[in-house]
Amino acid sequence: MAAAKEDGNDTLDELLKDKARIEELSSDEEEVFKRGNNDAANVGGGVPFPGMDQLKPKRKLEYLPPWLHDASINLFHDDLETPTSEAQQKTRAECLPLLTGEDTQGLELNIYGLPHLRRQKHTDFLRTTFNKLPAPYQVVDASRPWLFYWTVGGLSFLGEDVTQYRERLIETVRPLQNPTGGFGGGHGQYSHCACTYATVLALAAVGGLEVVDRKAMWHWLGTVKQADGGFRMAVGAEEDIRGAYCAMTVITLLNLPFELPAEAPARKAGLDTFTDRLGEWVGRCQTYEGGIAGAPNNEAHGAYAFCALACLSILDVPHKSIPKYLDVQALASCLASLQTMPEGGFAGRTNKLVDACYSHWVGGCWALLQAALSGGSSGRNSVKLDDLWSREGLVRYLLCCCQQPGKKGGMRDKPSTRPDGYHTCYSLAGLSAAQNHYSYSKEGQAVDKQSGRLIAAFHWTAERPTVGEMKALKFDEEDRVGFVHPVFVLPMDVIEATRRQFAESRL
Amino acid sequence: MGKYADDEQWSDVVPLPTDEGGDNPLAAIAYSEEYEETMSYLRAIMAANEYSPRVLDLTEDLIDMNPAHYTVWLYRAQCLFAIDSDLKEELEWLNETALTHQKNYQIWHHRNLIVDKLDQCEGETAFVESMFERDAKNYHVWSYRQWLVRRFGLWDKGELEFTEQMLQRDVRNNSAWNHRWFVVNGQEGAAGVGDPDIRAREMKFAMLAIAKAPQNQSPWNYLRGITKKSGMSLAHLKDFAEQYASLDQPDNIHSSFALDLLADILVEEKNTKQAAQALDLLEKTYDPIRKNYWAYRKEQLGLPAAVA
Ligand SMILES: [Zn+2]
Repeated sequence: MAAAKEDGNDTLDELLKDKARIEELSSDEEEVFKRGNNDAANVGGGVPFPGMDQLKPKRKLEYLPPWLHDASINLFHDDLETPTSEAQQKTRAECLPLLTGEDTQGLELNIYGLPHLRRQKHTDFLRTTFNKLPAPYQVVDASRPWLFYWTVGGLSFLGEDVTQYRERLIETVRPLQNPTGGFGGGHGQYSHCACTYATVLALAAVGGLEVVDRKAMWHWLGTVKQADGGFRMAVGAEEDIRGAYCAMTVITLLNLPFELPAEAPARKAGLDTFTDRLGEWVGRCQTYEGGIAGAPNNEAHGAYAFCALACLSILDVPHKSIPKYLDVQALASCLASLQTMPEGGFAGRTNKLVDACYSHWVGGCWALLQAALSGGSSGRNSVKLDDLWSREGLVRYLLCCCQQPGKKGGMRDKPSTRPDGYHTCYSLAGLSAAQNHYSYSKEGQAVDKQSGRLIAAFHWTAERPTVGEMKALKFDEEDRVGFVHPVFVLPMDVIEATRRQFAESRL
Repeated sequence: MGKYADDEQWSDVVPLPTDEGGDNPLAAIAYSEEYEETMSYLRAIMAANEYSPRVLDLTEDLIDMNPAHYTVWLYRAQCLFAIDSDLKEELEWLNETALTHQKNYQIWHHRNLIVDKLDQCEGETAFVESMFERDAKNYHVWSYRQWLVRRFGLWDKGELEFTEQMLQRDVRNNSAWNHRWFVVNGQEGAAGVGDPDIRAREMKFAMLAIAKAPQNQSPWNYLRGITKKSGMSLAHLKDFAEQYASLDQPDNIHSSFALDLLADILVEEKNTKQAAQALDLLEKTYDPIRKNYWAYRKEQLGLPAAVA
């Protein structure tokens, strides 16, 4: 789900910022190099390329967290320079002045000296996505459902009412639904797991799920389930872990039967349900690094870690399903190592660069992982498990480095990039993960005895931070993002309403 | 009016215009006339399930305008197979297309379908390598390479040397490390690093890489992967780890990853007190962003709080 920032040329880049971010697995390094020095001027540093001695902004040490002290920043630097280390130093140089407050970019500061969350600007930015888009946007013609989800998702995390879009969204997605089930990217396009996931979530957010043909959806999902337990993204398309998470999300939210339809090809291989062999397949995606790849044998990647954990959290209660299929300690170590120093945000892979979208993909893993580690009692009010990660680091990175200054608003990957809907939505989701507490109730059942529905993912509760915690993380009420469901990435009340809406539904 | 409307070859097709979804659709795209027209012909063709050479022209046009259009790619593949089209020609066309749309994702799945059907992979590894010239960490390209190796059994056909070259260029390229792991361990039924000779070779390879740049996580992860998969005792790595992080010289630590490994070695030795010291150094001095994680690891040692 992460984005394909494919091949935009520079003039189009401004317009095309949202394009097809369904599989962003592009090389950050290359993009940083491409942007080159003209962007350095925008980020205030203006340092063409930093040597170590240029990396020390003037600042008041006592206010800075330990990882921003000179002593920490200059801890290790191997002499050998490679493209990876050069890109890392460049990113560090563009972030440091913003992180230390040497350059505030003209943003309004909260009482702790960090920029306020620019609620109104981000809201305005997201709403413009729904305007008529100019022709160059036709390259997102196959992923428009993501625009719907990022927009209503991001807006609802900011506490905005999105039900005003209900009728328009229902009409807009009608031609995207195929009579054989599922949603494609546009009219006449094949049904696709990612498009279906994004459409269903967007519809849930505005309260418009009645437009979904549930029975056809169930039949279509049967055609993408594979004999090895995984899911293809579309019939004939690639099999990867996004498919598993997207499909299980849709099945659960819409309360579809988890038995496979009679005609599903996977039945010939002896499978009876959508969940058969699924946990094992997800387990095969864990790599020697401890992280999770998109498919067996590929490289560990933060976005796929979220898909794996969320998928397993749908399958069964997380403290059972996650340790059953994954080496949790190895995964924890791998995910912890993705929090970058000194930026404080997350990278997607070992030795890659910090990027705001991983604030959700990796930042969103902790609630799930901590629920797995603490045996179903991750809440502050139960047996306490301390955080394994730095909320403070992530809050600082997002507020200082990822908010677009000036008139425009929106959030961005890193200071040298432009804001877009994808990074705005997932920055806000990541901010919510850092600011709030999510706990799993250990009394939760995996399957509803009467209906047979998978209900393991419906036992989450959210709690707001205490005043002391807000002070420690340096944000105030104005900067706080609402509760975002740890598995389904929508507001908690939307998920509860959706659960109820289909509680009694049968096919 | 339009390329297709004016073309006699297409006069038998009644185009299916876009259903915009009501009067006021959200995030509607103001398609160019050309795109709109081509899409309306594609819809008509797909509705009629037509597979013919002209479908290839039509899909090529659309891919030019929107390379992320997965439906067009999938339909094109079905068509190629249905009419028994020349797949080598398709590959040549793909080579050019890949150069203009390198970050595109669908193109690699398409290539995968074509090469699979062709049942031969001549020139493929070289092509992939040329892609790495531009982006040495492209996830899709690496995944495609892994598929090639498995599908055509290229395990011993220069893959190891290839990862070596890639790591020569950038020893921090984690994708290349992951590929090396796959080449060594990914083959069905292969012992991989379970074989003592292979294990020794791979450990040496990782250790030499660490010597070049000790604060590079990739080879440390690789080393740990070896110990875990082969079930060997971490004790074998103690001398090596201590070259970069020794508790006797807490002010002279050259790699946080060495310190992390040392902590695990000490745990294995049941020397929890020293393990706590190592984790303490990470928490307090050498890796402050992960303070909470190191504190958690220390907690796992089960020491009374005062000692830790
Ligand atoms: Zn990103």
